[in-house]
Amino acid sequence: MRKTALVLASALAGAVLSVAGAGAQERVVTIPGFGAKSGVLRVFGVNSEAAMKAAAEEINKAGGVTLGDGTKAKLQIEFLDDRCNPEEGISVVRRIASTNAFVAVGPTCSSVAESLFGILQKKVGDATDSGLQFPIISDVAAKGGLARISEWAFRNVPNESDMYKSLLTWIKAKHPELKTVFGGVEKDFAHSNATFGVMKKHASDLGYQLAGEAEWLLADTNFANQVRDMRRVSADIVAISAHPFTTCGVLREMARQKVAPKLMLGLTSSSSLETLQGCAAEAEGIIIPTAFAPVNAEAIKAAGLVAKMGGSADLHSAAAYEIMFILKDVIEAQKVMARADTVVEDRRKMRAGLAALKTTKGLLGPVGRTDEREAIKPFLFVHAKNNAWKVLHDPRS
Amino acid sequence: MDYYIGLAQIIGIHTLLGLSAYAVLLTGQVSLAQAGFFAIGAYVGGMLTVLAGWHVLSGMIVAGLVAGVVATLVGFPALRVKGLMLVVATTAFGEAVRLFFFNFNYRIRRGDVLIGPSGGEGFRQIRFFQENGWSTIEMALFIWAIVILVLATLWWLDRSRAGTVWRAVGEDELAAQSAGVSITAVKVSAMGLGGVIAGLGGALYAHNTTHIEHAQFGVVLATFAIAYPILGGLTSVLGTLAAVVFIQGFLVEGLRFLGDWRNLLFGALIVLAMNLRPNGLLDASAVAALRRGLSFRRKGAAHARA
Repeated sequence: MRKTALVLASALAGAVLSVAGAGAQERVVTIPGFGAKSGVLRVFGVNSEAAMKAAAEEINKAGGVTLGDGTKAKLQIEFLDDRCNPEEGISVVRRIASTNAFVAVGPTCSSVAESLFGILQKKVGDATDSGLQFPIISDVAAKGGLARISEWAFRNVPNESDMYKSLLTWIKAKHPELKTVFGGVEKDFAHSNATFGVMKKHASDLGYQLAGEAEWLLADTNFANQVRDMRRVSADIVAISAHPFTTCGVLREMARQKVAPKLMLGLTSSSSLETLQGCAAEAEGIIIPTAFAPVNAEAIKAAGLVAKMGGSADLHSAAAYEIMFILKDVIEAQKVMARADTVVEDRRKMRAGLAALKTTKGLLGPVGRTDEREAIKPFLFVHAKNNAWKVLHDPRS
Repeated sequence: MDYYIGLAQIIGIHTLLGLSAYAVLLTGQVSLAQAGFFAIGAYVGGMLTVLAGWHVLSGMIVAGLVAGVVATLVGFPALRVKGLMLVVATTAFGEAVRLFFFNFNYRIRRGDVLIGPSGGEGFRQIRFFQENGWSTIEMALFIWAIVILVLATLWWLDRSRAGTVWRAVGEDELAAQSAGVSITAVKVSAMGLGGVIAGLGGALYAHNTTHIEHAQFGVVLATFAIAYPILGGLTSVLGTLAAVVFIQGFLVEGLRFLGDWRNLLFGALIVLAMNLRPNGLLDASAVAALRRGLSFRRKGAAHARA
């Protein structure tokens, strides 16, 4: 009887231990994401969330992420809406930082990133700076040089200055007969406005003559006056620095007023499904540099997975997809513990790990990292053709 | 904890914005220019701490005074219009201010970087609090000290002769004028005081968000400014505070977990609140009930001591 009781007790203890062990094997690490999931920029947040979830599913299918204590953990995504509002962005990050999260991915809008990176500690280890010590890696906010604001800020967004310099140089060589440029800009949006400056600078450096420019706002729906100016100067090239919503508005108005330049250029963010859904016919031929196109097996697979999650893969959401794999590598390399009692240390490890990266894996090939925590991403030139984005030229070839 | 303290900072700053509109509304003027005064305070305050190296307190005081002077100047032409025309005129002023900052460039070189307002790209690195080692709780206490000071000033004003005159003009301008009240002095002083309060709030906003740009000071912010005192009610200064807590604390932050549904509920709940409490969250009956409750407690405590 005593022996039976001992056997039963041992079996029970074994079962309890194995359940506890299985519990330890089934840890879950939450990676918070945040961005605009409301308003005209909603689609960016939706795509980022879908890309993060798609990548997390791939990582989990392959066994998850190995933590510092050797246990495996599954990744889960929690995505919060900041409505592209700086105050809300700060609030969202404070909320995330009050949990056990050791890194966050976001935001969508450069204006939110400006504020957000501003509340982070500027220099690591500066005891006089009371800024938040929490690593953030951005997938969408594209305005140049944002990561410079804080050593806790990182980005996996392409360098638009390099992209437009390369594109305009290529156009100059391929179409030497084109001399004049008309620029149009969505003036009240930080990214569009900053990129317009980049376009103008490189066009001017390459000897193009700026024949005129027109401005509109993100929420505008009527572009008759701007396009009338465009028609009046009849430039060889029309460069539009605007997001899909107003890019389509301008393109439709151009079609209505029969403005047909010899060549059209667009903003990186407009090389997306939204532009094709909104105005594929009018956008036919527009050339845009992009850091993502489904041109290889890995990129095609990623695009499919993101679509399955209810989003579409473009240069921004592809960056979110890549970030998840970067984070997995850093978690493993830095032996992040992901426990409540190691949060502060885990955040330092993540920051140090991200800062130490010299190169990361990207969907179009290796991505370089700069000392200012920015990415040097490979890019392509695509053009809208037959209701799809087709690769026009690969500058690496 | 930092999250809740951060939320308290946002509520404090928006309370100042709402109180700036409250001061003007007491005299019966519906002003949508408060976002413009808020923007002036934000830019002036930010420039004084970042470019001139001032302390945030002195920068904020000057920002409030500048916004107050501008508001007073706006107050005179605003006297000529009332009702919907005043709404249109003040909206136009707010937009003019926003567009001014949209085109405003004033950057100076510090080391290898240019700092200061840069037109459409905004004004970054307004980091007085962080660079001087202020903790989140210290920032919140500073903001709330200002809020309490403004609340106390408006409360005192409301109980003074000046406040009675302001409310008299707000209730019936013609009757007040017949009784010898100077409408010009009342309306312009209310606009000026509203400007000062908005300027203080703007300066705090700039230092709280560390980056400002024209787009943050548009019609949406102006609408929020006027919505706070209307939703909260004009019976008591605390009504505005209650409305800010309801909107920023509950609708914006409390419902964030609802994701996309939050935006749908946002408008619906405001409409519901205004239908249930047509005279504001803290209307006369609620204020009277609060007073009764407080006096009952005081009497109870005195009775217990006796």
